[in-house]
Amino acid sequence: MRSLLNRTTRWLYARIRSSIVTRTTLAIVALSLILGLSFASFVATSVENREQKRGELVLQQLLSTIERTAQIACYLKDRTLAAEIAQGLMRNRAVSGVSILSGGASLAEVGNTTLTAKSRINNSVIARPIFSPFDGSEKVGELSLFVDRAAIHAEAASDSRASTLAMGIQAALVAVGVAIAVYLFSTRPMKGISTELHRMRIESGARLRVPATNRYDEIGTLVTDVNALIASLEGLLTTERELRIAHEIGERKLRLIVEKAETGLFVMDERGVLESWNPAFVRLLQLTPEQLPQSGITPLQQLLGPHSTRLSQLLSQCLNTGQPYDLDLDMAPAGSPRPMWIEVTLNPIGPTALQGVVNDITDRKQTELSAQELASQDTLTGLLNRRGLDARLGAMFLAPLPDSVSQLALLQIDLDRFKEVNDGHGHESGDRVLRHVARILERNVRRGDLIARPGGDEFVIVLAGISDRSKAEEIASAIIAEIERPIDIGGHHVLIGASVGIAFAAREGDSPEGLARRADFAMYAAKRAGRGRVCLAPEPEPAQTDAVA
Amino acid sequence: MTSIVSGSTRMSLFLQVLLIFALMPVTQALRAQTLVVIVNPSIGVQHLSRREALDIFLGRYRTFPSGASALPIDLDINSDERKQFYLMLAKKDPADMSSYWARLTFSGKISPPFAVADGHMAVDIVANNPNAIAYVDRSSVDNRVRIALEITP
Repeated sequence: MRSLLNRTTRWLYARIRSSIVTRTTLAIVALSLILGLSFASFVATSVENREQKRGELVLQQLLSTIERTAQIACYLKDRTLAAEIAQGLMRNRAVSGVSILSGGASLAEVGNTTLTAKSRINNSVIARPIFSPFDGSEKVGELSLFVDRAAIHAEAASDSRASTLAMGIQAALVAVGVAIAVYLFSTRPMKGISTELHRMRIESGARLRVPATNRYDEIGTLVTDVNALIASLEGLLTTERELRIAHEIGERKLRLIVEKAETGLFVMDERGVLESWNPAFVRLLQLTPEQLPQSGITPLQQLLGPHSTRLSQLLSQCLNTGQPYDLDLDMAPAGSPRPMWIEVTLNPIGPTALQGVVNDITDRKQTELSAQELASQDTLTGLLNRRGLDARLGAMFLAPLPDSVSQLALLQIDLDRFKEVNDGHGHESGDRVLRHVARILERNVRRGDLIARPGGDEFVIVLAGISDRSKAEEIASAIIAEIERPIDIGGHHVLIGASVGIAFAAREGDSPEGLARRADFAMYAAKRAGRGRVCLAPEPEPAQTDAVA
Repeated sequence: MTSIVSGSTRMSLFLQVLLIFALMPVTQALRAQTLVVIVNPSIGVQHLSRREALDIFLGRYRTFPSGASALPIDLDINSDERKQFYLMLAKKDPADMSSYWARLTFSGKISPPFAVADGHMAVDIVANNPNAIAYVDRSSVDNRVRIALEITP
């Protein structure tokens, strides 16, 4: 029983939640019930009050009606007449007893004419003095009507019940009528539309049907509006699909371009981890199948080997400034005769993403290098000029192996009596002498050593990998000896000499400038000592390097 | 009076008014007749109050105050005296009186007084019946009866 009630409640709750029809009907019925009941109770009370008053009024009127006869009966003490009156009054259901007194004696007494304390609650007495019909001042008797209030009450209650019932039936009928009307005119078409809309598939081209009876009302408007919405939605969907297709085509084209591009393209995050790249990228970085990066895992630094530090610097530069930066990298594998240069350009496209471009710049780089070489060469002798010497010497100092620095020896060579040749035989002769000396120097050093003519009649030789200091002296002496031999300048022979100062690079804290200065110093010492000789510069005290300079 | 007025429609209003005033003394004379209640001298009733007289005629009591039974005699229902008597004593017109008696007919106990044609007949009855009591114009009274009450308006 209880579970049945629970089930019913749950079913009803579900219906109320899911069905407008049920909800509306229940709401109308509940409202009618509440209104009907409260109104009925009000009506019941008022009807009962009215009926009770009316009952009493009826009794009063009844008394007035029989008054004249009662007057006569009392006047004449006519018991028959009095009894007749009493019987007549008793016909009224509300009258429980009648007593007619005249001159202290009872003329008539019908029904219950005693009032006990208990019956007094429900009963009351309407007593009327009866005056002589011929003399209004002479009281001839008294008529007492014992009223049964319960009867009046019951009658009133029954009247009230009847009208309440009528009202209840009316309320119920109205509720049913309203519920049917709401169902027919509102909820049923709404439910139909709702079901139809629920089953409808957008893009099927289907539209809601406007219920014939609702064509011109709010439901009709709603359906029309919903249809318009569906139409515009379909339009939007079509447009979007077209856009998507166009976008896909565009993307495919772009991908094709990227795939086929000669330029390496890639995207990476702020740490350098690669996200995507094209085949050209792989080709330009000369990656073997084992080296192929994994998206989201492999950092670009790992692929660049020795250049990883420079790439990291470039990365932070890019991210700090938000500007694009580029970097030229020598990608020629060690020992490879073919040079290979790439340019990596990083372009920040957000705080955590960068887009990169890799280009093969080997050709450009070679052109650049030969131009640089040109700029670093002495056009007269083909040796390095001062700029070339500085650059190459600087590079030697920057070389990653400090041991080779300590093995550097710099020979500062100054020609003696060259000014006389130049002044006596002209510049062309001087140039010829300088070219002659250059060949001598070239003959006396190994490949990899530097030979330069920084200017005028001074020459510099940088010997790399000198393990024995006397070897440098030997080379210097051999050079001096060769230079002192007569030089043919086209029919004439001239004699010049050379003074050489040698400095060795210190193991620590040395610089190209310090080395050159010490060699220069030693060379002057040789000149002062009488020319044509070699002077060694003293080893610099590490702390005094600058002071000596 | 009304018929006279309506019958003289051709008379001027002045004459009508005059006539009304001229007839007034006649009316006064009619009213002026004095009704008296008479009893048989042998019954020993010297005087009756108006109420005592009325109670006997209306059937309330069938005895004189002394206890002797009373027999009321009415005059003809259409007589002027009867009309005047009840009008003055009970303030009831003939219709009221008919209604009064009508109510009592079915109870059967009390019936209206026996009625005689005129005052002379009434005087004769009272003179011959010691219990009789009647009302007549004073002019009809002779020494065989005693006037117990004089009814003045």
